[in-house]
Amino acid sequence: MINSIMRNILKKTPLALVGLMLSAVPQVSSAQFEPLARRDNLMMMKLVRPVAKKIEGAVVQVYSGDRPVALGTVVAEDGFILTKRSELDGDPIRVRLNDGQLLPARVAAVRRSNDLALLRVEGDITLNPAEFTGEIPPVASFVISVGRKSTPIGLGVVGAKPRRITHQGRLGVLLQDDRTGRAMVRGVFAESGAEAAGLKKGDLIVAINGREERSRLGVIETLRGMFPGENVRLTITRSDPASDPTTMDVDAAIRELNVMRESESDARVNGPRNVRLTGFDQVMQHDTVLDPNECGGPLLDTDGNVVGINIARAGRVVSYALPASLILPEMISMLAEARAASR
Amino acid sequence: MQIYLRTTYHVGKHHCLVITVLCILLSLLSGGLSAWAQDDSVFESAKSDSGTETAVPSELQGIFTSGKVPKSIVQLQSLEGQFARVSEAAVACTVSIRIGQSQGCGVIIDGDGTVLTAAHVVMRPGRKATVILSNGRKLEAKTLGLNRNVDAGMLKIDPGQNDGKEWPHATMGTSGKLATGMWCIATGHPSGFDQERGAVTRVGRIARVDRWVLTTDCALIGGDSGGPLFDLSGRLIAIHSRIGNDVEENLHIPIDNYTLSWKRLEAGELWGTLPGFRPVLGVQGNSQKPDAVIEEVRPDSAAMQAGFKAGDTVKVFGERTITDFQSLKKAVSETMPGENVRVRVDREGKPLFLRVVIGRGD
Repeated sequence: MINSIMRNILKKTPLALVGLMLSAVPQVSSAQFEPLARRDNLMMMKLVRPVAKKIEGAVVQVYSGDRPVALGTVVAEDGFILTKRSELDGDPIRVRLNDGQLLPARVAAVRRSNDLALLRVEGDITLNPAEFTGEIPPVASFVISVGRKSTPIGLGVVGAKPRRITHQGRLGVLLQDDRTGRAMVRGVFAESGAEAAGLKKGDLIVAINGREERSRLGVIETLRGMFPGENVRLTITRSDPASDPTTMDVDAAIRELNVMRESESDARVNGPRNVRLTGFDQVMQHDTVLDPNECGGPLLDTDGNVVGINIARAGRVVSYALPASLILPEMISMLAEARAASR
Repeated sequence: MQIYLRTTYHVGKHHCLVITVLCILLSLLSGGLSAWAQDDSVFESAKSDSGTETAVPSELQGIFTSGKVPKSIVQLQSLEGQFARVSEAAVACTVSIRIGQSQGCGVIIDGDGTVLTAAHVVMRPGRKATVILSNGRKLEAKTLGLNRNVDAGMLKIDPGQNDGKEWPHATMGTSGKLATGMWCIATGHPSGFDQERGAVTRVGRIARVDRWVLTTDCALIGGDSGGPLFDLSGRLIAIHSRIGNDVEENLHIPIDNYTLSWKRLEAGELWGTLPGFRPVLGVQGNSQKPDAVIEEVRPDSAAMQAGFKAGDTVKVFGERTITDFQSLKKAVSETMPGENVRVRVDREGKPLFLRVVIGRGD
C-alpha cells in the first residue's frame, strides 16, 4: 500500500513541478491538469453567455493612473457608474466603455462605509444602465460575473447566507498612555502601515489628519473609523535623548489585520486580493475566482437579474458582492448628491 | 491562527517542493478565536432518518452519471436547485472539530454520532474533542482510529447528549465509480468556525480520480480539513484533506478508504504515515540502553530549535512517560508535524522543561 502511494506521489511530481513553474500563467498550468473537468471551463462559460448578454453595455473597465483597477457598473444613462472606491488611488481616472471608447471620468460621490464610488463619465454619451433586483439567490445558486464586453468572466455559487463584515482595518501599533495621557507607541506590528511609515517605539501620536489628539482613547477611536486601504497623516513627536524632541508628519496606510498576520504560505494559497476586504454592511459570499481588478462589476443570477456588485476578492475560497438591496438606496442617494452638486 | 505545518515549510526547501505544491494540510492551529455563541433552542433533526440523500430529478440523470455540463439554462437552473437541496442537508451534518489547539471539520455519518474527518485533525486515538454543530451547539466527543497513509480519521460524539434522538447525518456513498467531470458539493468551515457565517458551501467538479485521493475545483482552505464532499445525489463521497497552491488543486480522501478499514478505525487503531508528513524530532540515541539518552542533536532540527542538548535524558514527551529511546521514537511517531509538545528532560541531574514544534520528514 505504501508502495503504491509512493508511486502516486512520484507520478505527480512532474505535474507538480510544472504547476509551480507556470504559476504566473495559471491558464496553461491548469489546462495541463484536466482541461474539461472544471465548473467554470469554456463550455460552462459559453452556456451562460446569453445570460451575460442581458446587460449588454452596462459594464465598463475603470482605469486609475493608467492601470486597469476595477470594473464599473453603469447605473444611469447620463454617464454614472458605480465602482470599488478603494482601488481608485491614482489620477487620471478613465473608463473604457463596452464599445471601446476611453473617456475621462471623475469621482462624483463616495460611500466609505461600503467602499463604493460613483463615477461621472465626461462627455455627451448615453449608456445602458443595469437594473438591480432585490432578490438574493439562495445558497448554492450559480452567480455570473460579467466583464466589459458583456461576456461572463467568472462563474461560481453563493456559499453562505448574507451577512455583515465588520472592518478589520488597523494602523498596526500598540499604544499606551504617556505621563500626560497621550498616545505613545509601545510596539509596531510587522507588515503594518505603521512599520512602513517608520513609526518607532516611544513616538507620541499628537494629531491625525491635522486634527489634534489629546488622549490614547481619542487616537484609538479616530483610527477605528479608518477603513483598510485608506491613508492617514500622523503628526508624531519623537524624543531623542541627545537633542530636543522633534515633531513630524508621516503618512501611513491602514491595512487588513488578517493579511498583516498571515503566514507566507497562507498568503500564497490565498492568491492576489484587494487592499480592502472588510467593512461592508451586507455581503453575499460566493466562490467565483476573480482577479482583484475585476471587482466593481455586476453579479447576475441565472435568469440574468443583476443581484449585486462584486466588491472584494477576499481569499482563495471567498469573493464578496454587495447585494442589490444594499446598492439601491446607496445608489439613489449618491446620484442625488452628485446631481445636486453639478446643478 | 495559522495553517497546520506552516512552520516547517522552509526546512529543506528543495525536497519539500512537491509538498508545498500539492499538500498543504487544511486544519488550523487556532489562536484567539472568539467565544462561540450557543443556541440550543432550534436544532433541526428532521432529516436524521433519511440522511442527506436527495433524489436526482430525471432531467439531471445524464449529468449526474456522466459528469457532463448542462445543455441549457433550464438544465443549469435544475442543477443549481439540486445543489441547494444537497447543500442544506449537508450543512446540517457538517461539524467543526476542536482538539487542543487544532481546529478542523467533520461529518456525522450515523444517528449515533460517528464522525468522519481527516487523520491530521484527529492526530491521536483516545483524545477528548469538542464537536460544534452548525447551530453553535458544542458536544463532547472522543477520537477513534486514524489511517495516516491516506489521512482518514474517525471520532465519536459521546452518548447521551441528544435526549435519545438521532443526530442528523450524511448518507454514505461509494467512491469506486467516481469519474472525471462529476459535479460535487463541498461544505466546511474555512478559516475556522464562525457562528454568524455558518458552514460555507462550494460547488465544483472532479478533476482527477484515484483510489487514495480525489482532486476537485471545490476551493478549500485551512479549517476545511475533515469536511465532507457530496455527489449530486447527496451521498458522501470524500473527506477534505489538503490543497496545492493553485485554486483548482483541492484534495479529498475517497470514502471507500474509510469503509474498507472501518473496524480498525472504530477500534481506535493508528497506522501509517501521510507521505511528506512524517513527524521528526531530530535526535539520535541508542535503543539498547535503559534510558532515552540523546547522543546527538541534528543541526537545524526541531530538537535543536527547542534547545535539546546531547546528554539530555528524555523523561516525559507530551502525555507519554519515556523509559528508553524506543519509547521516545514511538511517542514522536504519534505526533503531527507542527504540533507543539512539552518535554521534560534531565540535564546534569536536574529536570528541565522544553517546548518543541515537531518537524517534518518525507
